[in-house]
Amino acid sequence: MNTLSTRRTRAVIVALAAGSLALTGCSGGSRSGKDDAQTDKDAASQSKVVPLGTAAQSNGPAAAVAGAQNGGTITVYQRDSYNHLDPAQMYVSDVGDLAKLIFRGLTTYTQDDKGNKTLVGDLATDAGKMSDGGKTWTYTLKDGIKFEDGTPITSKDIRHSIERMYAPFITEGPTYIQQWLSGDGTTYRKALPDGPYKGDHLPKSVLDTPDDKTVVFHFKVPQTQLPYALAMAGYSAVPDSAKDTKDSYDVAPVTSGPYKIASFKSGKSMALVKNPSWDPKTDPARHQYVDGYNISFNHQFSDSTKRLMADKGEDQTAISFTNAVEPTLTKQVLSDPSASKRLVQGYQPYVWQLNMNMDRIKDKRIRDAITYAMPSQQVVRIEGGSYGGEVAGGLLSPTVAGYEKGYDPYGKLKKPNGDPEKAKQLLKEAGKVGMKLVYAYANTEIRQKESVAIADGLTKAGFDVQKKEVDSSSWYQQMGKVDNGFDVYLTGWGQDWPDASTVIPPSYDGRIIADGASNYSHVRDPKISQEIDRIRQIPDVQKQTAEWQKLHHYIVEQVNPAAPVFFVKSLQLYGSKIGGIRYNTDTNYLDVNTLFVKK
Amino acid sequence: MTSPSQTAAGKPDTPGLASKGLKKEKKGKGGELVGRSPGQLMWARFKRDRSGMICAIIVLAFFVIAALAPVIASLYGKNPYTLYGSDNPNLLDEFSYPAAPNGGISGDFWFGIEPGLGRDLFTNLLYGMRTSLGISLAVTILVVITGTIIGITAGYLGGKTDYWVGRLIDFLLAFPSQLTFVAFMPAVIAVFVAPGDETPTYIRVIALILVQWALGWMGLARLLRGQVMSLRERDFVEAARITGASPWRIITKELLPNVVTPILVQSTYMLPLFVTAEAGLSFMGVGIVDPTPDWGRLFKTAGQIYENDPTFLLFPGAAMVIFVLCFNLLGDSVRDAFDPKSGR
Repeated sequence: MNTLSTRRTRAVIVALAAGSLALTGCSGGSRSGKDDAQTDKDAASQSKVVPLGTAAQSNGPAAAVAGAQNGGTITVYQRDSYNHLDPAQMYVSDVGDLAKLIFRGLTTYTQDDKGNKTLVGDLATDAGKMSDGGKTWTYTLKDGIKFEDGTPITSKDIRHSIERMYAPFITEGPTYIQQWLSGDGTTYRKALPDGPYKGDHLPKSVLDTPDDKTVVFHFKVPQTQLPYALAMAGYSAVPDSAKDTKDSYDVAPVTSGPYKIASFKSGKSMALVKNPSWDPKTDPARHQYVDGYNISFNHQFSDSTKRLMADKGEDQTAISFTNAVEPTLTKQVLSDPSASKRLVQGYQPYVWQLNMNMDRIKDKRIRDAITYAMPSQQVVRIEGGSYGGEVAGGLLSPTVAGYEKGYDPYGKLKKPNGDPEKAKQLLKEAGKVGMKLVYAYANTEIRQKESVAIADGLTKAGFDVQKKEVDSSSWYQQMGKVDNGFDVYLTGWGQDWPDASTVIPPSYDGRIIADGASNYSHVRDPKISQEIDRIRQIPDVQKQTAEWQKLHHYIVEQVNPAAPVFFVKSLQLYGSKIGGIRYNTDTNYLDVNTLFVKK
Repeated sequence: MTSPSQTAAGKPDTPGLASKGLKKEKKGKGGELVGRSPGQLMWARFKRDRSGMICAIIVLAFFVIAALAPVIASLYGKNPYTLYGSDNPNLLDEFSYPAAPNGGISGDFWFGIEPGLGRDLFTNLLYGMRTSLGISLAVTILVVITGTIIGITAGYLGGKTDYWVGRLIDFLLAFPSQLTFVAFMPAVIAVFVAPGDETPTYIRVIALILVQWALGWMGLARLLRGQVMSLRERDFVEAARITGASPWRIITKELLPNVVTPILVQSTYMLPLFVTAEAGLSFMGVGIVDPTPDWGRLFKTAGQIYENDPTFLLFPGAAMVIFVLCFNLLGDSVRDAFDPKSGR
């Protein structure tokens, strides 16, 4: 799990770097009296188990968008250029929207008007046929699916896409399926050290392609999450031909989605045009209303926000895939009569929590005291108020299946500014009043401000808080060290797909503790590890979710390794001539599948 | 008395023992013959300079207010550390900006409150000024003492000493002081602070003073060296040397009184410079850190939120402008008073 964790960490770091920039400073607003920010009610659709769709639901074309018109080009303002175009290297949420436009995998999500997702077959005819209690999964490919050069996508290509992820040059992408097929940690790479490039393939007992249309996955233990994992951008199809140029594929991939790359100037711009080989009849989720996308990079959040607010010229047909509204401009955006109507918002999958180093704070009463003392509301305020985040009661995000609204064992929702009396009393019981607490924070403007509020809250509860600033660029490396020397520190985690199995095991399984691992609290609880193993064997996802919920309760109430602080929200602005806007609960940004340009 | 550098152009008499020469110069004015020291003369001239007097009073007021910050804060009933916004959620709106107009200015919070954390701006400014002025004053005193000693020594001794001091000054002048500080701070913390402890504020203050001092004295030293070099060849110094005065006596009794003007004028220019430099370091996040109030950090906060809460910039900004302007005008007036011929 080590590599997985470091990669995951990296993904989180990048996402959080984006997030923290987004959240720098605060935003202001007219005292309108009513708060239009998202509430967890709006996320209800996100916290349900995503059902697996039927073959009928997996058929194209996708349901037409009301009022959609063809034609037009959309301008896209992005802050960061794309580091990777090879789908197997895509793991960071920033590329999710681009991947949706240009790549297809075996499965994907469709979304209804209420935001309810269904997992359906994309290249495959359905979400997958499970047999043998989850040990075997069979996918059949649709007819008429092609790469941009017109060659049909066959089961050989799918096998190739999976096998090439074993090659040494693939370092960034997801590792779930490789690990399920060939072994935990990095041991899976031994199964195919050179990938498929020297003629070797995974044995048929692991990954089989009996004919051109069928792919069969064989696992040693039941894997119920395969359809969800396959929907990740990282598992998109790559042709098994000379067009897979290994390392060089990262700048010139062969696309399969409704758009293909016309040009890409790294760090400057990218142009997408229609892919004529894409057949809408095969695709249950995507549309091709727009003629193309002109993406330009290096637009800071304040820049893209101001352009979209002004809404002049080509900005009227502009969006940003991932740039949020600059928090300091939120107030202006919301009080602007035009811009305030052009907003799309939703929950991001990240939960920020104050980890308590359980190697150093062994007494649960002290950990409870810290949890009670935490002034979460103050932190949310600094993060930009109700449009930037929301006080968290538990450690599962509203975007994860199994999230319970109002779950609040430590009274964080009732007393969002902390309960110093209760904390003080617990600390007294533990006999540790005045105990020294080393609190580390990343040395950025916003974390400095938060450190004042947090230190103030903990001091009120009777702790002797020692604040230590840590260089922000190496924050996760330093916190990931087993012997990091700190007592409490804030980290954020987001799911890979809306299932607790991508949240609880990486964060709270004691067996993965190692330098760089994402178990930042160093929870070493054998019961949690046993439960994780047991729940993973349950073949029914609904039952699994109920069990994850129970385990989540156990972790929060009986172990309490981390004080929940806040859930992250996103707020995006778009041009006035853009239609079909909605929030995508899979990519957690605006939905690129339904966009069109109004005439 | 005139500054020696001004005397080069054919002034026949040597100032000599200052009071005597000046007494002559002033003879006949005002009918009666009153002996006045250069200090008294300077004071008399300074008093006539209205802008100088006003500036002196304002500058003095700044120092008094800063020094009395805790007293004023206790009378006012607030302190700069309490997060009023969290104790009373109504003070801040949903975006964590002050709910009341004009940055939350009210009878309770005279200058408004800080967005985000909800601290009181008035006391933050008072304590921030105290931090900044205190550090700057300490730096100025150290720099003046060091610069004077080294400059006069180099100028008076000349030769090898002068050469090596000159090279040392060149060397130190080449350091960018702010960047040096950024690099210097982690080293200081590593040496003096235990890994499990917070860096105490006094370490930061001492480090700030040390770096600004170590990289701040060269200008004054070089200026004084030049002055002293021209002075030491003059007859009155020769005379003193011939009569057997010790170098110490010559430096303190003959040379030092003649370079008081540049020292005073330079220090009145330096102090506001150090105030802004200290504020600049805190602005960059390497000086004084939260929660210790600091003038520079108020600007940093204000810079981030000025689009939504311009009032926050008003008071710290106005205070800084007034302070620096007055201090510079005061410097001009002091120079004029000491040396009425210059700049006219």
